[in-house]
Amino acid sequence: MTIVAEGTGVFLAPDPDAHRRYIRDHKEKGLVSKVMSEHEAIERFVDDGDYVAYDCNLWVRGPASLMREIIRQKKRELWIAAKFTAHDATMLVAAGCVNRIDVGWMEVGRVITEAQAAGDVQLFEWSNGALAYRLLAGSLGVPFLPLRYLGGTDVFKFSGAKLIEDPYTGQSICLVPALTPDVALVHVNQCDEFGNARIFGAVISPVETAMASKKLILSTEEIVDSDEIRRHPQQTRIPYYAVDAVVHAPFGGYPGTVPGLYKADVEHLMESGVAQMQGKMDEYLEKWVFSVSSHQEMLEQRVGQEKLDTLKAEETIKEGYYE
Amino acid sequence: MTETRTFTDMEQIICTSSRLMNGDKLYFTAIGGPPLVAVLLAKRLHAPALAYIVEDGTIAPQVSLPAPPFLIAASGASYRAASWTDMNTVSFHAGLGYIDYGVLAAVQVDQYGNFNSTFVGPAYERPARRFGGPGGANEIASLCWRTILMTRQQGRKFVKKLDFMSSPGYLDGSPSARERAGLPPDTGPWRVVTETAVFDFDEGTRKIRLQALAPWATVDDVVAEMEFEPLVAPTLENIDVPSEEELAVLRAEVDPTGRTIRGRWITVELEGDSARLVEQEAPAEGA
Repeated sequence: MTIVAEGTGVFLAPDPDAHRRYIRDHKEKGLVSKVMSEHEAIERFVDDGDYVAYDCNLWVRGPASLMREIIRQKKRELWIAAKFTAHDATMLVAAGCVNRIDVGWMEVGRVITEAQAAGDVQLFEWSNGALAYRLLAGSLGVPFLPLRYLGGTDVFKFSGAKLIEDPYTGQSICLVPALTPDVALVHVNQCDEFGNARIFGAVISPVETAMASKKLILSTEEIVDSDEIRRHPQQTRIPYYAVDAVVHAPFGGYPGTVPGLYKADVEHLMESGVAQMQGKMDEYLEKWVFSVSSHQEMLEQRVGQEKLDTLKAEETIKEGYYE
Repeated sequence: MTETRTFTDMEQIICTSSRLMNGDKLYFTAIGGPPLVAVLLAKRLHAPALAYIVEDGTIAPQVSLPAPPFLIAASGASYRAASWTDMNTVSFHAGLGYIDYGVLAAVQVDQYGNFNSTFVGPAYERPARRFGGPGGANEIASLCWRTILMTRQQGRKFVKKLDFMSSPGYLDGSPSARERAGLPPDTGPWRVVTETAVFDFDEGTRKIRLQALAPWATVDDVVAEMEFEPLVAPTLENIDVPSEEELAVLRAEVDPTGRTIRGRWITVELEGDSARLVEQEAPAEGA
């Protein structure tokens, strides 16, 4: 196979055989409860140096409570896939948790710009679609997939993609390496204690992200009875055997939205944006992460029941999600 | 009989873009900002059957207007869709050739319609200003049959050399450059829309070409706001200024918070088909 051109970006090298062995040796195949606290889930399943993938659509259905726990536990030298992510990448960099970012799209302000200039964080270029597609490759258990974009651009040059001559058509075709993160964080609408999970609405790539990763932590708005799952098996998007931890996290997407359940807290998003612009991320993180011991405590002491009720009441669209 | 009309540069860009859209075509739009607003305006005013997809997997939603605030993170954006899928699925649909037009915004554009949304500045490691990245623009600009780009008419936006090529136009302009880079044939940038101009691309050279002009601007006005000299079509079409109806719908229904349509104010005096510039605000720093 002729390689016509290749990018120079560093990438997490695919190793499908090692991945298969990891799955064989570490995944729980029995129906056992995986319900645990966010503290235990992050402590057990996120290690310093891990590649972490999380699924969200900007401020939609992101695993925000798990991200805050990563910050609270001061995980270090993480490498993240920033596909279609907003403020999370900024928070993780501001907290010193992340030193490598594969970029699709993320909110960029002075925190990331300054960290890049100081050499504290390295960026590698992809696109949202390319990262979701790399995760698809990872979830298929293959080392790479061909795709018909990236080629010809500077994104290609700064990525780990290769341009080859397609052995079937003879035309140029781009290849991207499978992405198999060490750990995935996915926030879901409902799951049972074993991890059989339902996700409602348009999504980015929660299933690919979940299945491509070695370890998988779910946070869920609701833990439902397993009998309920088995009455509507078509709705199960992630099967239990892929799941390592189930964290019950009502408002787990806060300050973002979970469509059909609650609206994004725009006031909070403004506060976080201003904190970044004014160089006050330390204060922001102290208030919302370090000064509270858990997500639940943050909801009670920093957000308040009144605000939570309002965010729920304002989400009037249920159609397609819960009816 | 004369009347004056006042609108922002971005309102003009959005109205001009929306008039390029038809109800029997399928669009792939950026999830927010001017591209989505232009699509919603077209759908509301002259192309109600227009269908669009968004990279979060939403296919053909029916957003009820007035648009909810913070639409990019509101369930209203995917309301009553034909299908809720995922990012890979809608990319597959574009790759299969279903999507006629991509609609995107750009930070910098070059003469071949390549564009930048990653950073501006002297070097990759030392950006003067870093942006979010290509997002979905690279795949949209590669896979849709045609791409509509929206940007302001400013010298720093129409550059000889991009600081970074996030997404492809006609690459180096050579024949079949896109195919050699692995992109599907017969695709590429189709129009670039600014507040004073619409550009198309010369078939032979694939270079950007001035195709239409706002009645209150001259060719020199446009070229003065470009780092390079564009081709100019032998006959220039006229760009209509935003109509009162378009402005009313934009401001009251499509972008009621005004976050996207804001920009520098332009006032023109209209008489028949002609429009005379009365005054315009200087471009804001960093806009």
